[in-house]
Amino acid sequence: MSFSRTVSLAVIFLLLVALHYTLQPVLAWRASIDFLVIALLLVAVRTRPGAAALAGFALGLLSDSLTPESFGAGALAMTIVGFGASWLKAAFFADNIALNGVFIFAGKWAFDTIFLLAEHRLQGTNLLVQLLLWSPLAAAATAAAGLVVLLTVRPVLGAPRA
Amino acid sequence: MRRPARTNPRVDLVLAAACGLTALVCLVLPAPARNTAAAALRTTLVAPLASMQVKAELSRRAFLAHDAALRIVDSVTLRSQRLTGVEEENERLRKLLGLASALKWGFIPAEALQGRGLGDDFTVTLSAGKNAGVESLSPVVTAEGLVGMVERADDSFSLAIFWPHPDFRVSAVAADGSAFGIVTGHRAEGASKYFLELHSVPLRSPLKAGTLVVSSGLGGVYPRGIPIGVVVSEMKTTEGFAKSYLMRPMVSLPDISSVFILTPERARSGVENVWATGTNVDSVRKAIVAAGDSMRIRRDTIAKTPVKRDTLAKPSVKRDTLAKPPVKRDTAAKTPVKPDSSAKTPGKRMP
Repeated sequence: MSFSRTVSLAVIFLLLVALHYTLQPVLAWRASIDFLVIALLLVAVRTRPGAAALAGFALGLLSDSLTPESFGAGALAMTIVGFGASWLKAAFFADNIALNGVFIFAGKWAFDTIFLLAEHRLQGTNLLVQLLLWSPLAAAATAAAGLVVLLTVRPVLGAPRA
Repeated sequence: MRRPARTNPRVDLVLAAACGLTALVCLVLPAPARNTAAAALRTTLVAPLASMQVKAELSRRAFLAHDAALRIVDSVTLRSQRLTGVEEENERLRKLLGLASALKWGFIPAEALQGRGLGDDFTVTLSAGKNAGVESLSPVVTAEGLVGMVERADDSFSLAIFWPHPDFRVSAVAADGSAFGIVTGHRAEGASKYFLELHSVPLRSPLKAGTLVVSSGLGGVYPRGIPIGVVVSEMKTTEGFAKSYLMRPMVSLPDISSVFILTPERARSGVENVWATGTNVDSVRKAIVAAGDSMRIRRDTIAKTPVKRDTLAKPSVKRDTLAKPPVKRDTAAKTPVKPDSSAKTPGKRMP
């Protein structure tokens, strides 16, 4: 990846992180868009799995710092999702909108699942409702927003390397 | 589909494992240690993000509060509009009280229950009937002037016609007595139907715009002196021997809620000074206000004018003038006859 594309990717990554802390609180949806996951997946498909895992870990720690009760859960979930996304990118990140949508949907749902299981706050029915109802809805919203982001940044970043 | 060219996949795995392990360690850290680590991140790297989140939350709250504030403003506006209606009603009732005190006797207060059906725009049901002393052909008035007359009286209610009704007729005269005529409703469509017409005014008695027209007392239904309307303009008619005028009614139909029904005895005894009393009272009020203003101006003038002590101390009468005797002693003492003259006559001997 060229230097200019690397800079562009960093800028878009930061923009998405900023959006997560500005737009998401304004929307305040129960099934909210996770711009951090979008940012991580955007980076993951363009970097090696180790770097993606590191980026996920960093993002997770940042988000965990605002919720000390689950400190580390987000880092763990983001690390796994980042590493997995980078490892699976060849399979999913062809020039296919539907596949990209499924990829983001799966990434967000996987993150929520790992996060909820790791933090041990929700249990029983509440955990099931969250995992089977709200998490898929949030994953769908994130996938929709992620597709918009991907289509927007594709002219700048180009197709991910396969 | 090409596989990604990965260099050192073991490094990637090691990195990922290290990150995962560190995250697990963070998960199992004791609470004080977790809080310390989270606080360190919050106050450094995450501080700008947390600040943005706080601002976003505040923006959202402000947005929601704006909606709530808007609802409150709407509610207050609605209340203020209702308050305006109440104030207007109070004003009307005060005027009616003034009219009641001017009439003193021979009237029946009633509420106008206006119908909303087609064709009954100009009739009204009044909440007083024969039991209250209402009779047919009784004039219906408000503080502003003539409304109409009772067409039919039942026991508890009565039916009255307004001035736009086709059957409405009243003999009228200019307030200064210069011209007589007949007032009817204005035959027109739309909003113009709420005007009046003054017919059969002699050619020799032209009326100017703004002339007040009152009931003349002729005809026996309406006593003289009830304000009917104000001349707006002359109407073009085919009548060659008389003029017709368009009039603006004194009473606005939408404002009619409480009315007075004059009893036949009261109508016969006359009400000529009742509405004029209102004018007189208004004049007196204006005169009192003007007098008050004048007194205030004089008081201010006096307060501003410096007083000259010397002028006040100066006696108005000159003492010397008073002390001065009116008669001069020397003049009085002077004898008009000189004795020496006769005594000193030279001795001339007779020849």
